[in-house]
Amino acid sequence: MSTQEQTPQPSSSVTRRAFIKMVIASSAAVSASAYLFRGSTLVGQGSLPGAVERLMSLNVNGQLRRVDVMKQETLATTLRYKLGLTGTKLGCDRSECGACTVLIDDIPHYSCSVLTHTVRGRKIQTIEGLEQPDGTLHPVQQAILDEQGFQCAFCMSGFVMSAVGFLKTNPNPTREELAHGISGNLCRCADYDKILRAMMRGAAYMQKTTT
Amino acid sequence: MTNFLVQWGINPWGEDTPIHAQWALVYIAFAFGVGFMLAHTLFVKFWPKPEEANAPVNEVAAARVPARVGRHSLAARTFHWIMAASMLTLLGTASAPVLGFRFNWVEIHWIAGLVLTLSIVYHIIHASFWLDFWSIWLNREDAREAITRFKRAVGQRAPAPRKAAKYPWDNKMYHTAIVLSALATVPTGLLMMNRVQTPFFTRNPYLFGDTTWGVMYVLHGLSGIALVGLTIAHIYFAIRPEKQWITKGMIFGDISREEFLRHHDPERWIVDSHEVSNG
Amino acid sequence: MAIVHDVMPVFELFQPTTVDDTLALLDTYGADAWVLAGGLDTFDWFKDRNKRRKVVVDLSGVQTLRGVKKTADGGLEIGASTTLTDVASEPLVKQNYRLLSQAAALVASPQIRNQGTLGGNVSQDTRCWYYRSGWTCYRAGGNICYADTPTAINREHAIFDANRCVAVNPSDTAPALVALDAQMVIRSSDGERVVNAQDYFIGPSTDITRMTVLQAGDLLTAIRIPATWANAEFYFEKIRERQVWDFPLVNIAAALKVEGGTIRSSRFVVNAVAAHPVRLGAVEDAVAGKPRNEETAAMAGALAVQGARPLTHNGYKIPLVRNLVKRAIRGEAQA
Repeated sequence: MSTQEQTPQPSSSVTRRAFIKMVIASSAAVSASAYLFRGSTLVGQGSLPGAVERLMSLNVNGQLRRVDVMKQETLATTLRYKLGLTGTKLGCDRSECGACTVLIDDIPHYSCSVLTHTVRGRKIQTIEGLEQPDGTLHPVQQAILDEQGFQCAFCMSGFVMSAVGFLKTNPNPTREELAHGISGNLCRCADYDKILRAMMRGAAYMQKTTT
Repeated sequence: MTNFLVQWGINPWGEDTPIHAQWALVYIAFAFGVGFMLAHTLFVKFWPKPEEANAPVNEVAAARVPARVGRHSLAARTFHWIMAASMLTLLGTASAPVLGFRFNWVEIHWIAGLVLTLSIVYHIIHASFWLDFWSIWLNREDAREAITRFKRAVGQRAPAPRKAAKYPWDNKMYHTAIVLSALATVPTGLLMMNRVQTPFFTRNPYLFGDTTWGVMYVLHGLSGIALVGLTIAHIYFAIRPEKQWITKGMIFGDISREEFLRHHDPERWIVDSHEVSNG
Repeated sequence: MAIVHDVMPVFELFQPTTVDDTLALLDTYGADAWVLAGGLDTFDWFKDRNKRRKVVVDLSGVQTLRGVKKTADGGLEIGASTTLTDVASEPLVKQNYRLLSQAAALVASPQIRNQGTLGGNVSQDTRCWYYRSGWTCYRAGGNICYADTPTAINREHAIFDANRCVAVNPSDTAPALVALDAQMVIRSSDGERVVNAQDYFIGPSTDITRMTVLQAGDLLTAIRIPATWANAEFYFEKIRERQVWDFPLVNIAAALKVEGGTIRSSRFVVNAVAAHPVRLGAVEDAVAGKPRNEETAAMAGALAVQGARPLTHNGYKIPLVRNLVKRAIRGEAQA
């Protein structure tokens, strides 16, 4: 066959100078394109008032705990899954059962309905934080043992925190007042009678320890 | 594309269903209407069209035209203004909530809708039997004339078109557009009265399935929005100086001989030597 | 029936410390922003994934929105972020406006009252389960009401003022505030406006998608109670099935000025019977100048339910309204 004309082969290698220029140019282009995303809600947040940092310190049971918290995370989730404090239970996740009750500044709250970011700097107390450092149980906890309150006790931590919070401001309630005070907690085992008896005993124990 | 025209939602089975026309289109319709008015005003002001050359009219026929020519009878005018009032009420009650004016609009809307429906039914009967039914519809002659005008407009040689019959082709086009919009809006609107409490019948909001209703709402909304633009254009032309003689005809019922001969051909729109003419 | 998912869908969170910063954020984000007070209404929507926003503006850091103080005319101004527990126990409120304390004390459960705010309770969205399940009904921007059918479960829905949507306003503090002639202070970047409590709530005939006049960019900052009804004869009753948590089936807030056994003037407001608290103006007019006795009570009760239109399952609300009005006229001692 006839010989093909040899066409000059194009150079397949890039010079170092060209490569460096290419990198600088493309990174300039990429970082300039960030201008396109300046309006995105998830970018540049630090410049707006009230912007939020994910890493925070939480005062839990008297300890300062450092934890990385998502913005949409609830306190129950943080306590259970990031701080290992699984005494607080998730029953309904809808502020309808009370199993997740914790004390925030000594006031009972449904931790499933509290964004962790809103309690930065507040005092949080869970069921794990009731006992003394030497292991002595809180009067209400002791009363439960003595009265044999609760059956499956899934609701127990919520009830106890509710009662402790209520008794702090109402140290000497009647059974009816106490029932009303902890009415934000449900027990599926329907152990209410025994629970109230245990809590009343706990109130009595608390009175003894303070007098 | 459908997302631009249609608002979608989810039915209880988790399936996508159309719900209604996109409300943004209401804004677009108003903007379009206003924009058209502005553009047309400026266009006519700065690029006025020379008076169209028409074929000469028959002198004998012209002589027969009386001093005042009846254009619309009292019955026809009454229908028009009742329909106009109900149409404006319908468009107003439909767009105001979208534009942010909150009030109890639904009842007023369907009552006006009923008035419109009844007036349209009257009009169909009246026009079919008492008026010249065929005068409003586009025919082959209009098509031929449109081609002729177009040829002349682009500079080709074509014979000068005759002056119009009672309704020139732009009137006929407009009426056709209105008829199509009404054919979409009125039946859907009447069926939609099943969704609200009326004194006429027990409502059944589940007469149709979700998707069927959704399609109906979309049709009703889109044609209603089209009517916004059409109405703005219509009122605009009605108040334009060069058209006011027609508007007066719709208010007072007649036009002068001079206006008649300027715009119409007495052989195509036949009038008697005395005042009364076909409605 | 709530389905417990994993964590809520992600959103951007802002925690401003002043009202001005809050308004700036609401302006920046417009319809993308959600105002978070106590969160008890908010999280139900977010957790069920039936409503979602890109941005949540948390009010818990804005201290000026909390607290109760006296105003110059002898009334009260209550910050919108004041918790229901605080409203119920605040001496200033209990002293002269006991009606509001009673109402606030009956909301939900103790933990919810400790966290929920007065502004939130008053502005809360309706609980219609079809709407709350995320179905595209009128209130959700669609073109049907799933509750208003012969077979729907509409036992907690409206008997008054239904206009395609039959949902009800579930608030307990709302009727109390309407009865006290309260005023809602709303701020936006356009300035401050004050709306009468009665006009704060809107029904479906005005806007079928909203419960209150609040628009994107608005912030309810305070609730002002004039001295008009201070220490009047109050009556509040909430009827519900369980005595905790439940929203009212019907509730009534009444304030009467009685002189020598005759009713001089009054306010009767029932809620959970319409999409807004229903002020019984006809009853107020009818009992003015009448003696406070059983006859007046019976007349008022019958008048109150005129025009009620029950659905398939909520006819029981009619005798409830009638009896609540009677009891309100009889007063706390006799009820």
